[in-house]
Amino acid sequence: MAEIELVGLSKVYPGDVRAVDSLDLKIPDHEFFALLGPSGCGKTTLLRTIAGLEAVTEGQVRIGGEDVTGLPPGKRDLAMVFQDYALFPHMTVVDNIAYPLRVKGQPKDERRKTASEAGDELSLGGLMERRPSELSGGQQQRVALARAVACRPRVFLFDEPLSNLDARLRLEARSFLKKLQKELGVTTVFVTHDQAEALAMADRIAVMDKGKIRQVGTPKEVFQRPANTFVANFIGSTPMNLLPGVAAGDVVQIAGQELPLPDEVRDSVADGQDVVFGARPEYLVFSPSEAPDSLHGVVTVVENLGTAALVTLEAEGLSVAVTVPEGEEPELGDKGWVTTTPGRVLIYAAEDGELVGSKVPATTAA
Amino acid sequence: MTTVAAEPNRGSAVSEKRAPAASPSIMTPRQVVGRIGFYTVIALATAFFALPMLWLLSTPFDDTPGLSISVPDLTLNNFRDLLDNPYALGSLVNSIVLAVGTALLVVVFAALASYSLSRVKIPGRDMLLYALLLLSSIVTGTAAMVPIFLMMFELGLIDSQIGVIMVLSGGLLPAAIFILKDFVDTIPKSYEESARVFGASSFQILRHIVVPVIRPGLATIAVWTVVNVWGNFLVPFILLRDTDKQPAAVLMRTFYTEGGAPNLALISTFSLLYSIPVVLMYLFVSRKYGFRFHGGIKS
Repeated sequence: MAEIELVGLSKVYPGDVRAVDSLDLKIPDHEFFALLGPSGCGKTTLLRTIAGLEAVTEGQVRIGGEDVTGLPPGKRDLAMVFQDYALFPHMTVVDNIAYPLRVKGQPKDERRKTASEAGDELSLGGLMERRPSELSGGQQQRVALARAVACRPRVFLFDEPLSNLDARLRLEARSFLKKLQKELGVTTVFVTHDQAEALAMADRIAVMDKGKIRQVGTPKEVFQRPANTFVANFIGSTPMNLLPGVAAGDVVQIAGQELPLPDEVRDSVADGQDVVFGARPEYLVFSPSEAPDSLHGVVTVVENLGTAALVTLEAEGLSVAVTVPEGEEPELGDKGWVTTTPGRVLIYAAEDGELVGSKVPATTAA
Repeated sequence: MTTVAAEPNRGSAVSEKRAPAASPSIMTPRQVVGRIGFYTVIALATAFFALPMLWLLSTPFDDTPGLSISVPDLTLNNFRDLLDNPYALGSLVNSIVLAVGTALLVVVFAALASYSLSRVKIPGRDMLLYALLLLSSIVTGTAAMVPIFLMMFELGLIDSQIGVIMVLSGGLLPAAIFILKDFVDTIPKSYEESARVFGASSFQILRHIVVPVIRPGLATIAVWTVVNVWGNFLVPFILLRDTDKQPAAVLMRTFYTEGGAPNLALISTFSLLYSIPVVLMYLFVSRKYGFRFHGGIKS
């Protein structure tokens, strides 16, 4: 158990590719922490740097208060689960799980006993003498986890732990992994490109882009108040509406229409300033009849999401998505009005894409 | 429903159309002649390769060995003659020593070299490998025999089996590294990284993970080395002076009668004994590991 601290960490590849760019981050003990970002954003490089598989160009990696920047991976007292699980094909399940202990020089009987216990914990009881090739994807993943658990490390690192599982198994593995982490209380960093996975599992999330952290926060913070348009765009199963507009007094003018400017940012926005009006489709309300303070347009797309439908309205080059409850879906070509939910509208400065006003969600701030 | 009904119809239409072509009873004369010609060529080729084998199997047991194949007057006298030769069995032992020694050296060094060449990025690595491969055929070949002889002479390794093993290993290593590197290349990097995170050293990774995974490759290399050394005449012939140390392939050339004619009784018998170990080893390794000339992981 240990906290992880990254101080001014940079990883530069030949050709001046800055995979990780002077990054500061503190992950407290026992936390389940997600590194989230699109592919190529440097999240895996960052994880590998913490593991010691990549040499640091600049800065420090500290685990449990101790500077481990110069230590080889094996001396950092951590366990890593790889995307492809990296199970050794020529060893049985029990030998795979016992491998870290074999490296540490534990006698065979002792390490096989420990391995069997770790295997039982992860319900691998009857599979101990099988080869990895004789296991299903979910079982292979549990073997990889058991191997990490068996060596009782201070830190777990998971590289896209769920991406090789099919959709249903992934949901199961998600709750399983979260439960396991809480039981063991080991500080865990996991990498994912799936925002839903990060929101569901992590205690805190760092959203990364181009080697930099764009926002760190709890799933709630990141979801409700994305700190910039990048995060706003990336988080959420349906992309957030980001409508370019101009602030004018109490309203924001968007493509010839007007929506009210939220009270809490009125002081921070200058008259005539270019802004981006951000609202999640889930927080917008669709109305088939005329409504005050609304945007109106024509329904051009209706996508079925199961319990709701995602409706896209278009008006004068403007495109707004809104979710509509089951049974109330409009027809294509209908006219529609969209109103906002108070406290759920975000205003970004058009210049740098940063959030205007408080970074803390209203609900947690109150 | 309509598609289900349509299926069998379509199926039968296809088989009707195919039926005449597939039937062997209706062949044009041209096809018949072609078929006969084809089998004649195959039969001749088979006979060409089979006759030496037949000679090898029958002549050792023939009371009057000759260069033709005939039904032998069965006898084991030839084997007694061979045992009377003071060097025959010893030379087979020498062959085994040279082959096993070289195979060990080649397997160990090829494993180390292919692992490092596969994992360490150095500029011009592939060029280096190709150059080595090209040059290796010279090292054990005739062209470099004089310099190699001089070098071994300076090193005091003339008439030493260790010297022969070293020269043969040097010649075979590049190709062995080349083949093995392909096996190592197919091992996912995550295997090693995983082991490294658990604290394994490079040597432990090689021993615990790389070597077991490329075992079929190692077996292939070992057998290939043994076969090469077993059949090599030139290197031991030149580097070994003492008849006691010469391997079977070299000793065979001394089997002449006092009259200067080849002693077919000894040559055939000895050839048979000489080929048995290789065949046995081939069968053993092929059953135990299977031969593969490329890497790849079953998962």
